[in-house]
Amino acid sequence: MNPYTSRYPGYDVLNKRDTPSWDAITRKVIAQRMATPSEPGFLDIVRWRALEALCACIVPQAADRPQAPLAGMVDMRLQKNAGDGFRYARLPPLREAWLTGLHALDEESKARHELPFASLERSAQNALLSQMQHGELTSAHWKGMDAQLFFTQRVLPDVCGAYYSHPYAWNEIGFGGPANPRGYVRMYYDRRDPWEAVEAKPGKERQAMEKNRRVR
Amino acid sequence: MAMTLSRQTWTGVACALAGVAAVAAISRRRKTERLLHVETSRAFNRSSALLACSVLTDSAMEHYRGAFSNVAMYVPPAVATFSLLAGFHGGADRTPSTHAVRHAIYWSAALTGLAGTGFHLYNVMKRPGGWSWQNLFYAAPLGAPTALLLSGALGAAAERLRNQPAHEPRLLGMPAGKALGLLSGIGLAGTAGEAALLHFRGSFQHKAMYAPVSVPPAASALLLHASLAKPQPRWLARAMLQLSWLVGWVGTALHVRGVARHHGGWRNWSQNLFNGPPVPAPPSFSALALAGLAALRLREGERQ
Amino acid sequence: MSADAQDEPRGKHGRAPDVLRVGGWLPMREYLQNDEVDFAIVGTGAGGATLACRLAEKGFKVVAFDAGAWWRPLEEFASDESHQKKLFWTDERLCDGEDPVKLGNNNSGKAVGGSMVHFAMVSLRFRPEWFKARSQLGYGVDWPLDWREMWHYYGIIEDALKISGPVNYPWGPDRGRYPYRAHELNAAALVLARGAEALGIGWTATPLATVSAPRGLAHPCAYRGFCVSGCSTNAKQSTLNVWIPRALKAGAEIRDLAMVGRVVVNDAGRCTGVEYFREGRWQFQRARNVVVAGYAIETPRLLLLSATSRFPNGLANSSGLVGKNFMVQSNQAVWGVMDQEIRSYKGPPSLAITEHWNYNDKKDFFGGYSYMSQGPLPVVWALTETRRGLWGDALLKDMQHYNHYVGLKMVGETMPQERNCITLADEKDDYGLPIARVTHSNCDNDRHMIQHALDFMETALAAGGAKDIWRETDDTCHLNGTARMGSDPQTSVVNADCRSWDIPNLWICDGSVFPTVGGVNPSLTIQAIAYRTADRIEALASRGEL
Repeated sequence: MNPYTSRYPGYDVLNKRDTPSWDAITRKVIAQRMATPSEPGFLDIVRWRALEALCACIVPQAADRPQAPLAGMVDMRLQKNAGDGFRYARLPPLREAWLTGLHALDEESKARHELPFASLERSAQNALLSQMQHGELTSAHWKGMDAQLFFTQRVLPDVCGAYYSHPYAWNEIGFGGPANPRGYVRMYYDRRDPWEAVEAKPGKERQAMEKNRRVR
Repeated sequence: MAMTLSRQTWTGVACALAGVAAVAAISRRRKTERLLHVETSRAFNRSSALLACSVLTDSAMEHYRGAFSNVAMYVPPAVATFSLLAGFHGGADRTPSTHAVRHAIYWSAALTGLAGTGFHLYNVMKRPGGWSWQNLFYAAPLGAPTALLLSGALGAAAERLRNQPAHEPRLLGMPAGKALGLLSGIGLAGTAGEAALLHFRGSFQHKAMYAPVSVPPAASALLLHASLAKPQPRWLARAMLQLSWLVGWVGTALHVRGVARHHGGWRNWSQNLFNGPPVPAPPSFSALALAGLAALRLREGERQ
Repeated sequence: MSADAQDEPRGKHGRAPDVLRVGGWLPMREYLQNDEVDFAIVGTGAGGATLACRLAEKGFKVVAFDAGAWWRPLEEFASDESHQKKLFWTDERLCDGEDPVKLGNNNSGKAVGGSMVHFAMVSLRFRPEWFKARSQLGYGVDWPLDWREMWHYYGIIEDALKISGPVNYPWGPDRGRYPYRAHELNAAALVLARGAEALGIGWTATPLATVSAPRGLAHPCAYRGFCVSGCSTNAKQSTLNVWIPRALKAGAEIRDLAMVGRVVVNDAGRCTGVEYFREGRWQFQRARNVVVAGYAIETPRLLLLSATSRFPNGLANSSGLVGKNFMVQSNQAVWGVMDQEIRSYKGPPSLAITEHWNYNDKKDFFGGYSYMSQGPLPVVWALTETRRGLWGDALLKDMQHYNHYVGLKMVGETMPQERNCITLADEKDDYGLPIARVTHSNCDNDRHMIQHALDFMETALAAGGAKDIWRETDDTCHLNGTARMGSDPQTSVVNADCRSWDIPNLWICDGSVFPTVGGVNPSLTIQAIAYRTADRIEALASRGEL
């Protein structure tokens, strides 16, 4: 098990779905998000595989737990063409940026390893992404798009934004999650409302897990 | 959910019973001739019980909100429970002498209240801003432990009064009615002060929030005057004390409504009982008004 | 719940949503398009809604337009950061310059009520000297407004929104008592307070437009922490639940899902009305006066889009300053980890503030800044982490500290520069209108201030008890300038009454008119100016000078 996932053992924000912490509209939108299909609706299958591999590098989800459908969420966003309200003038629009970027990523991968990005070892994938992050990918496949900018302004915000909008991510970081009509009472340092995640202090993981099972 | 709901219901029932018992006792008194100073003592026992009931609920809730982060936070609800029981016991007891166990309980309640005030003051002062409106509003409330101190003081006074002769009983070197009048008058004023602070925090958003900062202070002033001036019948003081008694109970009802007025209403009880107006607080006025009425009755028959 | 607010207008058939009641409706007066109304107001944010309300209360016939939807907070605001993007202006805009800004979530609203529907509720007054920045402090330009008059209007707005603030405010001239008491501080705010006390500077509970006690049908704040995703309790006092209901009651009409694409001007050089897109077609509303209140990007964009042969450079632009002097506020931050659990997602995000460096002039740069405690929700927080380059295991690992992170974030005054501007790009939006290009670069003074603030905040955060402190170096907030007010038609777009110099029946009333931007959040000042403008319009009308 991923050692980083144990700070709030046993905490599941979804247990609060039927408490006053969740209202009807929130239940609806979260259910929709969780039901996002893990299959392409906008991308072709080649780019989809690259996107899946890319998401797995940006947010490496533990294999022994349910997975947030990150690639599906990004693809859904592309289907809806849901922009942010701005883009850096040096980047093309949302869809074009992703289509170009995923294709270029595969081409860069093939040029180095003669394999598409999805078929690389994780370490090789990470190394390639690190190059992208540091502005070292400049082949013609990028069609003039700044690969570094694509990485920092599209890949990271879109993938990480998708992940941290998913309840599994909230469980991991101990976020209280939806809060309407019930908000919070205890505002002081080290104070936890009974419906908030219990942090495991060293050596007290089991107690924390038991308490977290009762968090409602 | 069921647990805290039932706790809440229980509190309401207990407070109501105490109130009803007190009223019933007063009306019964008129029918049969009893020793006035013992009857006054019993009224003070009952008043102390009602205050203790308020303190028990309030401190249990507030210290639960504070996660009982300090072991000392368990003490006030425990002591208040004993004070409550002593009040019930004393309220039914017509023996014209001090009950040692009750007396001890009352003294410990008073001392706990005093110590609590110290703890709460420390909590206020250690926060950023120290002695400031912000901390008076939101740090440990300075007025709350005083209610326990008062519960103890009223009870202890009741116990000492029982040991006095039926004719011209005295307390603290003055006529007993005067002493008890001063005690309940000051208590009433202090409680009104706490209500003023907290209703100021609530921006007096509802007109009824002015009631506890106008009626009880007036009653307190009249009672203090009645205690200090030459004894004589004081119908206005009595009327204002009766009104203060009513303010306490109506206030409780309004606080229940106030909880409903918060987002999510009673369905969101686990938040709104704590962030809404404190339901157990207003009965303190009724308790002190009962003590004041009993003290006034004694005072009206005194000679100096 | 009726049909989706984004598909069909709700301000129709003589009624409008009553946002304070589940499923409720309010009667709304409606005007015919051929009716020459007194004022057509473009935008229903802090400027437009306040002005619409006040003009209607003075008996003027008012129609206000908003491109966004008319939401019902009690039923339609989910406790979810991503879903609530529906409140943001997500139509495309291009950003360039040396320091391109980010738009959307923290500075652009597209909804009836504008950005105030998702603002952080921080309601601060300008420092008096800022209204005479040039003559008293030596930078920028002077405002044509007097601070004493503004102080009067600030008081009115604070009362209208029942601002919850400290009993005594530590800086500036006396401002009376805030109508409601300040909220309890959360742990993140206490860290700011501890740091400030350790460094010997002042701090206070932030005056916030969210009620700390019931007000009418509005519930008191439930500390749910989703303030900048839209308040579903109505505790937040905003355009949506304060000014607009008042405006409706006074007889104003609000048209939602109505994108104004052109202010129409006749041959005599006077406005005759506005062209707007609603229910699938372009329509025209006649009006005696037009008020543009679209905030500092859409306002100049609309003025530029409305160019005619008589005004080839756009309306009200004889000075050439429409779209120029675009000012954001520097929004850099320092973040650190505390031993204690902070859980800053609880409560309004900015419960404590210091304005020390707004009022202290012993510094090596012009202008001022405040800084506030923070409460980022997971998505915003994760994006902040990615901006310092974290991804993969490093990101997941640091995200584990979410409940222990605290931050201090500045709101810093940038200098007006003509090179920072709004222009029209070649790209078109869904309405077929050219989109805005937003060009922004910091100047040396901006950079000095940011450096000063980051250094100071880092010391303060460490003094508050945080460890492993790092800096977020590139964020901005708020949009101002681009149609500045002034006393000289050569160097400003509108006069002190927000009336354009070139076209006497064209008014601009939003953050665009700010000549300088100050070191505090602008919403209170925008509303105060709008309230004043209504008073001035009434006075002008009574003298026959409209």
